[in-house]
Amino acid sequence: MYQALLTRRYLFSKIMPLLASLAVMLSVAMELITWSVMGGFLDTLISTGRNVIGDVNITWPQVGFAHYDELIERLEEDDRVVSATPVTETYGLINLPGGFVKTVSIRGVDPEGYDRVTGWFGGHYWTPIEEPLRLDKDREDPRLDEELRPAFERLRSFGRRLEFDTVEDGAVRPRAAVVLGTEVYPKGAYRQRAGFVSTDIAEYLIGEDATIQVLPTDQRGGAIGPAARTLVIANEAQSGVYEIDSSVVYVPLAALQAMLKMDEAEVVAGPGKLVVDENGEPVGFAAPDTVDVSPARVTSVLVRGADGVDPKELKLACEQSYAAFSDERAGDVPRATSIIINTWRDQNRTLIAAVEKETALVLFIFGIVSLTSIFLVLAIFWSMVSEKTRDVGILRALGASKTGVAWLWVRYGLAIGTAGSLFGVLLAYAVISNINEIHDFLGEAFGLVIWDPSVYYFSTIPSDLDPVKAAIIAAAGLLSSTVGALVPAWRAANMDPVQALRFE
Amino acid sequence: MPLIEAHNIHKTYRLGRVRVPVLHGASISIEQGETVAILGASGSGKSTLLHLLGGLDTPDKASSPDRPSSIRFRDAPLAGDRYRARDVGFVFQFYHLLPELSVLDNVRLGAMVGRSRLEYLSIAGETDRRATELLTRVGLAERLRHRPAELSGGERQRVAIARALVTEPALLLADEPTGNLDRAAGDDVLDLLDELKAERELTMVLVTHSERVANRADRTVWLVDGTVRERPQQAPIAP
Repeated sequence: MYQALLTRRYLFSKIMPLLASLAVMLSVAMELITWSVMGGFLDTLISTGRNVIGDVNITWPQVGFAHYDELIERLEEDDRVVSATPVTETYGLINLPGGFVKTVSIRGVDPEGYDRVTGWFGGHYWTPIEEPLRLDKDREDPRLDEELRPAFERLRSFGRRLEFDTVEDGAVRPRAAVVLGTEVYPKGAYRQRAGFVSTDIAEYLIGEDATIQVLPTDQRGGAIGPAARTLVIANEAQSGVYEIDSSVVYVPLAALQAMLKMDEAEVVAGPGKLVVDENGEPVGFAAPDTVDVSPARVTSVLVRGADGVDPKELKLACEQSYAAFSDERAGDVPRATSIIINTWRDQNRTLIAAVEKETALVLFIFGIVSLTSIFLVLAIFWSMVSEKTRDVGILRALGASKTGVAWLWVRYGLAIGTAGSLFGVLLAYAVISNINEIHDFLGEAFGLVIWDPSVYYFSTIPSDLDPVKAAIIAAAGLLSSTVGALVPAWRAANMDPVQALRFE
Repeated sequence: MPLIEAHNIHKTYRLGRVRVPVLHGASISIEQGETVAILGASGSGKSTLLHLLGGLDTPDKASSPDRPSSIRFRDAPLAGDRYRARDVGFVFQFYHLLPELSVLDNVRLGAMVGRSRLEYLSIAGETDRRATELLTRVGLAERLRHRPAELSGGERQRVAIARALVTEPALLLADEPTGNLDRAAGDDVLDLLDELKAERELTMVLVTHSERVANRADRTVWLVDGTVRERPQQAPIAP
C-alpha cells in the first residue's frame, strides 16, 4: 500500500525518474518507428504487387502459351478469382522524343482486362484530378486546372483505349498508342517539389511518336529478326513501384503479339506450288494450302483474387485450374508441372527476403541499443536508491519487510517503464503519422533527402503503426525498465536498516 | 511478566578489519507501563541496545550455549517486521520523516507499512481519524498538508511521535528524542511524551546522554562497558 503512495510522490518529485522515463520513451519510440517504417516498406512492397501483376501471375516467358482465353474462362469460373487477363511481355528498346533511347520492358495489355486485374487506369497520370497532392498546398498541379480538364479527359480516354485519335483529311483516325511508366522519360527540372510535373513535359511527349523495337522468336525460342513499330505516346502510368514505373511501357496486346509473331497465324502445307502458263513457262507460285491455324500466344495470364482470398490460396486455385487446362490441351500448352505460377511475393522473393532480413537485423541492432536503457535505468535507480538510503531505513524501522522495500523499487521501475512506454508509443505515433512531412521539412530546412524513391521504390515513406507491434515494443520497454530496477531493488532490500538510518 | 526483556546480549561491529565490541552480555527487563531511560557515554551502545530491542538489528550469537542470549516481547521471540509494524514505535533524534510526504501522509505511513492493501483499506478510515487526532493532540492540526521542510525541529519531532503512535503500539523507543532540539523545544517534547504515556499507558524506553532527561523516567539504567547497570558504578545486572 505504501509503495503506491511513495511511487507517486517519488515519480514527480525529482528529475532523475523523468530522465529514466525519457530514456525508456526514446528507446521505445526508436524501435517502434524503425519497425513501422521497415514493416510499412515491406507491406507496401507486397501489397503494391497488385498494381503490377494482380495477385498471381501464370507465365511461360518469351515464347508464351496458346489458348489463354480458355484458361481465363476456366479461371474466372472459380469463386476465388475476380478476373484474369492476358499479357505479353518482352524486353526491347524504345526511342522517345529528343533521341532518348532506353531499354524497357514492353508490356502488351488488353486495357480493360488489365485494369480489372491491376487497377491500371487509376495510375494514369495525365488525367483530371479533384484533390491536390499532399504537398501541393497552393493547388498548382495543372491536372487541377478546370480549363485543361477537357484535354486531360481526352488523354485519359486515349490511355484507357491505348489508342490516340489523330485527324487526317478531316477524319478521326485512331492510332495504336503507348503508355509510358511515369519514370521512363527523365523529368528533370519539370518535376515540382510537391510531386507533380509541369505540363511542359506533356506538351513535349504526349502525341509524339515512340518507336519500340523487339526481338521476336519462334515457338522454339529461335530469334527471327528484330521488329520495330512506331506508336503514339498517349499517357503515362504510375504503379507506385519506382522500378516498375521507370522500366515498363504499355502497348496494345495485339500490336505486341504481332511484332513478336505471337498472333494468330495460318499453318500452310509446304511452299506454294509453281504456276506455269500455257507454254509451260513459270509465272509464279500459288498460295499454299492452309492446313491449320496457329493460335495467338501470350507470355502471361494475370489473376486477381476475390477480397479476403489469401494469395497462396489463390495460387493453389490457379494451379488446379491450369492443371485441368493443360490436361485438356495436352501437347499444345506447357505442362502443369512446368508452367510458372507465382504470387508477387514469390516473384520478388529475393528482394522481399532481403527486406525482411534487413528489418530483422535493424530491429536486432536497435534492440541491442535499447538494452542501454536497462543499464540507464539501473544507473539512475542505483543513484536514487543511494539518495533514498535513509528512507529505506525509515521504512524498515516502521516495519517494512525486505520484500516490501524491493517491491517499492520494482514498482517504481514499472511506473517509469509504463510512463516511458506510453509516451514512447505516442511519440512514435506522432512521428510515424507525420513522417513524410518531417522528411519534407528536413529536406527544406537542411537539404536532407533521406528517402530517395529511386533507391527505395516508393515515392513516399510507407509507414503504419500496427497496434500489435506497439504493444510488443511497449511491453519490451516496460520489461527493460523493470529489469533495470531489479538490482537497485535488491540492493535497497538488503540494506542494513541501522546503517541506512545513519546515512547522511 | 515484563513487557520486554533482553538477556545476555552481545553485539560487535566491524569497522573495516577492526572488530568493535559494543555489547557483551547486556541484559534488561522492562515492565508494562514503565519508562526507562538508558544513559551512557557516546559510543557506549545505547542506540545499539535500542535498535536490538526494536527488532531493527539482531544480536550476535551467544558465545556459550549455557548462557543463551534472547530478546522476548510479552514472553515470545520478536516477530520480525510485524513486531516493528504493530508493537513498537520509534522516535529518532533526527526525526526521520519522509520529505516528499505531507505531515498527514507521514503519520499515515506508520499504519500503512506492514499491511497489505486490503488490510490497510479496512482500517484506512480509522487510521485517518487517529492520525488527525494525534496531530491535533501534538498541536499540528493546522499543518496537516505541510511538508516536513516547512516545520521547525520541534514540530517535526511531534510529527515523528504521532507517526510512532498511530498504530497504538505497546512500546515506544525513543533515541535521543530531544538531542536535536533547543531546551525549550526539548522540554515541550518531553512533556508531550509524558502526557501521551499517561493517556495511553505506554511503555517507553528513552536513550539519552542527558541526566535531566533521564530524571523524568521511572527508572534509569547505565550502559557501561557493554553491560547494563542500575547505577554507573554498579556491577552489571545479572543475566
